[in-house]
Amino acid sequence: MGLEYVRISPGFERYMPKDYVDLVQYGQFGKQIDVQMLGQFKELVEEHPMCAGCFMAYFIRVFYAALPNPEDTIVIGTAGCARLALSQAAVPFIYGNYGDTNAVASGLKRALSIRFPDKIKDVVVIAGDGGLIDIGFGMTMHSWFRREKFTTIMVDNEVYGNTGGQESGMSPKGVQLKMAPKGKQFDKINAVELAKVAGCVYVAKLAPTNPKRIAKTIRRAILAARHFGPTFIHAYTSCNIEYSIPTEKVLEDARKREKQDFGFYEWMTDEVKEFFEEIENKPQEVKA
Amino acid sequence: MYYVADVKEADCAKYNCKQCVLFCPEPNTLMYHDSKHVAWVNYSRCKGCAICVYVCSDLLKRNCIEMVMVTAGD
Repeated sequence: MGLEYVRISPGFERYMPKDYVDLVQYGQFGKQIDVQMLGQFKELVEEHPMCAGCFMAYFIRVFYAALPNPEDTIVIGTAGCARLALSQAAVPFIYGNYGDTNAVASGLKRALSIRFPDKIKDVVVIAGDGGLIDIGFGMTMHSWFRREKFTTIMVDNEVYGNTGGQESGMSPKGVQLKMAPKGKQFDKINAVELAKVAGCVYVAKLAPTNPKRIAKTIRRAILAARHFGPTFIHAYTSCNIEYSIPTEKVLEDARKREKQDFGFYEWMTDEVKEFFEEIENKPQEVKA
Repeated sequence: MYYVADVKEADCAKYNCKQCVLFCPEPNTLMYHDSKHVAWVNYSRCKGCAICVYVCSDLLKRNCIEMVMVTAGD
């Protein structure tokens, strides 16, 4: 971890894979990149096996472009769709067992702050609704109760997409799925309110319809987690396979859901609000 | 044989928008050419989801991207 590990030793450029050389020369290591520059630099995440038109893949693409310090970040994921893309990025990735992502992240963050007390090291958990709110519920909640300083991002596709379409706690009430033929009997869990009650200092809920806003939210969540405590983002990332959304309508669906129940919502404590007012109103450094 | 997105360069160069690039779910696939000011597609990486066509044709009414059939090796 750190910039010195990313750079290629002098004289070895022509022996390294082309993608890696591009990543160091035209990538985002050591630079502050605006998410609007997407498509004009080499991205951290590489080709991955996620389905065509998957909006979880899109969210992950924007997530990597939004990282404030990619060279000092560790991403933790678990079983589920998101790990297919997360493991293909040039950022260290740890694969937790199903449900224990936030426990692993707690230990890792504590270890990093002992090993590198004077450096910034970010830990980010990205897992699905199953990994965080169903199976990993206890460990997620307890990491928040203990006020561990890392970011938790839930990519909510409202179904167990990998295993054939079982209902999850986050599926909307009444929805009929391949492995829930009678329709779901219970309400969708209100993860945002749970996070607020459990002690998160920054909580946001969004549908990925505006890349600039996604990037700003992710950046804020990571910066707040460095100084204050746990932060949580609940992102709607539709499963176009299990919910039978034609791929070209995926963005339309996200815009529809944004109007219905995934409108942008952001909540933070007063001290976090003060912190952002201070750093975001400072004159910006010249961007690369 | 499979579908990929194809940018009509002459039409795309009229606008300086790159909205399609910002909404592609695949990394390093739909790219933006700095000097020509057009989007371009890395065909071997495109999965053919057509979200870019929705952005360009349905949202912006500019019709600069179309889906084309290519054969392996194109």
